[in-house]
Amino acid sequence: MRKALDGLYAAALWAAVLAMAAIAVLVMIQVVGRVVDRTLVWTGAAPIGIAVPSLAEIGGFLFVAAAFLALPATLRSGTHVRVTMLAQNLPPVPARWLTAAVLVFATALGIFAAWHSALQVVDSWTFDSVSFGMVRIPLWIPQGAMTAGLVLFAVALADELWATLRGATPAFAAAEAGRGIAETAGH
Amino acid sequence: MELLPLSLILVAVLFALLAAGLWVGFALMAVGLVAMELATPAPAGAVFATKVWGALNIWDLTALPMFIWMGEILFRSRLSSDMFTGLAPFTRRLPGGLLHANILGCALFAAVSGSSAATTATVGRMSLPELKARGYDDRMSIGTLAGSGTFGFLIPPSIILIVYGAATEQSIARLFLAGVLPGLMLAAMFAGYVMIWAMLNRDRLPDPEPSIPWRGKLRAAALLLPTVFLIVAVIGSIYAGLASPTEAAVIGVLGALVISGSTGGLDRAGFAASAKGAAQTTCMIAFILAGAAFLTGAMGFTGIPRSLAAWIGEQGFSQYALLTALLLFFIVLGFFLDGISIVVLTTSVILPMVLAAGIDPIWFGIFLVLVVEMSQITPPVGFNLFVLQSITGRDIFSIARAALPFFLLLVVATAILTVFPQIALWLPGTMLSR
Repeated sequence: MRKALDGLYAAALWAAVLAMAAIAVLVMIQVVGRVVDRTLVWTGAAPIGIAVPSLAEIGGFLFVAAAFLALPATLRSGTHVRVTMLAQNLPPVPARWLTAAVLVFATALGIFAAWHSALQVVDSWTFDSVSFGMVRIPLWIPQGAMTAGLVLFAVALADELWATLRGATPAFAAAEAGRGIAETAGH
Repeated sequence: MELLPLSLILVAVLFALLAAGLWVGFALMAVGLVAMELATPAPAGAVFATKVWGALNIWDLTALPMFIWMGEILFRSRLSSDMFTGLAPFTRRLPGGLLHANILGCALFAAVSGSSAATTATVGRMSLPELKARGYDDRMSIGTLAGSGTFGFLIPPSIILIVYGAATEQSIARLFLAGVLPGLMLAAMFAGYVMIWAMLNRDRLPDPEPSIPWRGKLRAAALLLPTVFLIVAVIGSIYAGLASPTEAAVIGVLGALVISGSTGGLDRAGFAASAKGAAQTTCMIAFILAGAAFLTGAMGFTGIPRSLAAWIGEQGFSQYALLTALLLFFIVLGFFLDGISIVVLTTSVILPMVLAAGIDPIWFGIFLVLVVEMSQITPPVGFNLFVLQSITGRDIFSIARAALPFFLLLVVATAILTVFPQIALWLPGTMLSR
């Protein structure tokens, strides 16, 4: 079970990284295409017209996929921002109860978010909603990635709650306690 | 429900949840839910899904992961050691000596990184041990670094300005350019303070370094050349209108890979770590943005921002009075909240009021960044302080004491910027006139 869940979170993070890399690659193609075209026009030749169609929309979709699919891994690495002042200054037993209460609350909100995101996917699917650009992408695809990320996030939160109730230290708390320079670099 | 009791309930819920240690994104979401349940029969769940989808499915936001990735790559390269070696020969004769390497190093790294904590960490892990070994005053070494690290958010690229621009639909390119001169002004103010301090405290400074022949100076300068070239390529292409911020950022990622690949320091594992780190930092910010998007929508239903704006309009406060009040409010908020949370709370609730008072939204973005920079170095919650704590092993409050003069200089800089708004607005104006 532990192995399966960790594998799931890691796979979702890799999918997020791939979505991010895809943004970089598509934008690079666009930039190179423009430079080639300008050079051709400048030398008097006809431009080839290399461009990624609907890049602005596809970029937004890939951003959503990257952002949401990384949710579980970001939770467990202690990267999500929260105020830890109170938790750090409580004795161990009340601190554990506080963590459990926070996780119950967060899991409930996570399920709310995943559920309503899923309903949005169902709507887009039923009404065949597509994007407006040249390439008409069905909206359920990027919205599905968002939902998948939120569902896994809710699972990861329940997972951390279960660990806390069992008496173990949840992964995010362990990561927060041992935070080094590298981990805070992004803030 | 009456607006005043509703507002008080929402503020109480927000602070209770934040203090309990709920993640910021969830806390914003929960406040949005409470607001919708109390103020409107509209279905909260459907509003949640559409607002979050609509606010994150945005082309401008793609600049965020790209600039973060660029910084993550350079953070793992040899740049931090090259930075100190390259700058030291040029600052040794200034009053305050190598302390200026901290300020210049941060200003340079800030121009390739969008984050204050990354700037502090990259410059600090090399410069602090070097300064200590040469007998510089600990407090000044830490203070200059804590203060200068905050350039990360002001000098473009800037994560904070991308978030602000995407949330308020302002041009990110113009916001970036608006940050350049205030950033340089702040660097000059910090350097001036160090010089004055050095002249008053000669006994607390080590003897100047031995002079280095010109050949050595040239070699040192050459170490910094690739970075300077990258800065010119990234910011220059935005200024010249050749590239959008995202395109410039992707060029930056490629340039960062070339630099760290050719100077060594980045292997395959480091590259994978940089990509994972960038994805997670992006996710952290996006999660707060998602909570804020829902909160903004919910606040629209309550009508609180509108009536706040109308109330400010009726009172006829001067802009200075309003900005002073906001500055004090933000400083208090900054003791407990991180920068991105402050920005999204502002855009959810306060922005209509600011616009109603006739304040330029681009200028206000820069004002907000200065405020956020203060929050980075005020205890007990300040990310620059956390970074310095992990480098030096000292406690947060002694680091914050060392940073105090620079915090005060930030307040002075904010006042100067308020009296002379052109410091921020002149450069983006020249871009538009092309």
